[in-house]
Amino acid sequence: MKTLFLKDMRYRQARVVLTALGITVLISLILLLGGIMNGMRIQARQYVESTGADIWISAEGSGGAFIGFSMVVEEYMAFLNAAQGLTPDSASPLVFAQARPIVRGKSTKAIVVGYKLGKLGGPKQVLRKEGQAEGRMFTPSNFEDYRPEDPVPYEVVVDEKMGLEIGERITLGNEKVKVVGKAESRMFVLDTPLLFMDVRIAQKLLLGNTPHVNMMIAKTDANEQPRQVSAGLDALETIEVRTLKQTLRDIIAYYVDEPMKAVQFLRVMLWLAAGILVGMITYVTMLEKTQEIGVLKAIGASDYYVMGLLLKQVVLISAVGVVLGLILSYVFAAAAPIFVAINFVESIIVVCISFVVCCGSGYLAARKAIAVDPMIAFRGEI
Amino acid sequence: MAAVVEGTGLTKRFGTGEATVVAVDSVDIRIEGGELVMIMGDSGCGKTTLISLLGCILTPDAGELRIDGEPIDPVNEDLSVIRHEKIGFVFQLFHLLPYLTALENVMVAMDIASTKTDAAERRATELLTQVGLSERFHHRPAQLSGGEKQRVSFARALANRPKIVFADEPTANLDSRQSDNLMNLIQELRREYQTTIAIVTHHEGLKENADRIIHMKDGRIITP
Repeated sequence: MKTLFLKDMRYRQARVVLTALGITVLISLILLLGGIMNGMRIQARQYVESTGADIWISAEGSGGAFIGFSMVVEEYMAFLNAAQGLTPDSASPLVFAQARPIVRGKSTKAIVVGYKLGKLGGPKQVLRKEGQAEGRMFTPSNFEDYRPEDPVPYEVVVDEKMGLEIGERITLGNEKVKVVGKAESRMFVLDTPLLFMDVRIAQKLLLGNTPHVNMMIAKTDANEQPRQVSAGLDALETIEVRTLKQTLRDIIAYYVDEPMKAVQFLRVMLWLAAGILVGMITYVTMLEKTQEIGVLKAIGASDYYVMGLLLKQVVLISAVGVVLGLILSYVFAAAAPIFVAINFVESIIVVCISFVVCCGSGYLAARKAIAVDPMIAFRGEI
Repeated sequence: MAAVVEGTGLTKRFGTGEATVVAVDSVDIRIEGGELVMIMGDSGCGKTTLISLLGCILTPDAGELRIDGEPIDPVNEDLSVIRHEKIGFVFQLFHLLPYLTALENVMVAMDIASTKTDAAERRATELLTQVGLSERFHHRPAQLSGGEKQRVSFARALANRPKIVFADEPTANLDSRQSDNLMNLIQELRREYQTTIAIVTHHEGLKENADRIIHMKDGRIITP
């Protein structure tokens, strides 16, 4: 009678199906939340890595690249462009600011990337499709640093996925900005599109026309170790210098991990909920089966036999729940309105842990069940 | 004839302090092989507690128990093994598993005893045919009458060829016709399988079927 536990499950199929479905939904939510966070990390990385910069520089005490503001001073630029270990003239100012442009009458979210055309920080050319350029790059300003007499037209190169047409205008900081080109899509965290423009226009539209940037970026010489160059520059104490690796860590912490602490907490809670769900339902089922268990024990079933019956059910329900949850999470991820990247290895680990949590709580409930006194068989009805 | 079950000085108390109830008080009992014994007495006199002690469901606070000549050590022995190897139980409310058919309900007793499925199925088929339920193998308890359920219950009790079957008020939930039929069946099964049977009952009309009647009062046997 290897199928005894299956027959019992079929008899209580409504409860079994609901339990498995409950686990399925909880596991898929756990994986989906992980996938959202993973997607955010990937999107946070992809812009930073696409800049091609090795060194990220900000003013001491500004809070770091991507976070605070640093003044662009001619002397700094000159120093960086000649600094030992850095590729000559590779240092470039970069504005990286969140904005709410009005696109076709609707306020939307975007990140404005202000950089010097041809330098690090943004695309050097627009996207090409079937050999045709999608517009042109924006008109560059003339100087490396801030000069009031350096006006350039309000032009922007937009992310291809924004669906904007060349020549269309968007409103940014009360000014109309003309779309002149399209760039390969590299969305930032939570599918936020990037708007590439000259650093001077970004300063004017978003920073009150002040000579501030969020950071300076540079490349190291091919034969130099970015870590050593960074440490050497950082020792000057007037600037904070980070390598790509450190910058990625900072940006992921600032844009993903810290805001997502609540989500992480929620994931743990969902795990707990999955465990409690299985434990509770096993316990309630056990209460309903008390007499049945008593009878089985009275006719000679050992604790091991009864435990086996209950655990087989717990294991099967948990296994079905977590596997369906895994499948459903990929379905949800494909249909999600934001970028969700479920990591397969991580999802297998999550599934295994969830399975153990569910089985563990089921086991605790089953342990209570085997303590049933077989004398109960002499009383009441099943 | 050798005793199948023999209890000496069996005592069972419930509760503590002033609330202690002595359900079975220094009972000496001996049931011979092949006997059909009826244990009778008023409600609360300790009949069910006594068969629970004899059937190794309860452990005595004092006294000794032998089954099939072997002393039972409730502390160091796995009583569940004794229950499925040597004892069969029939309950007042049948207690068949609702999700199993009549055949499977009989087979489950043998599954507990690790009997192979095909052998268990053959034995269950034989027993259910013997108790007159050859047309009811695949019926669930909810599809059976009270008398039929009790027949399945007897078949389950006999499945592992026990030395003794304890039946707790087996006719209490049956009408008089079903009761008579069941008693005829019990006699028939006893002849067929040479099984010793101990029945706890209130039902005075069943007395005539017994080889011996044991009366209990206040936890003691008053007519051994």
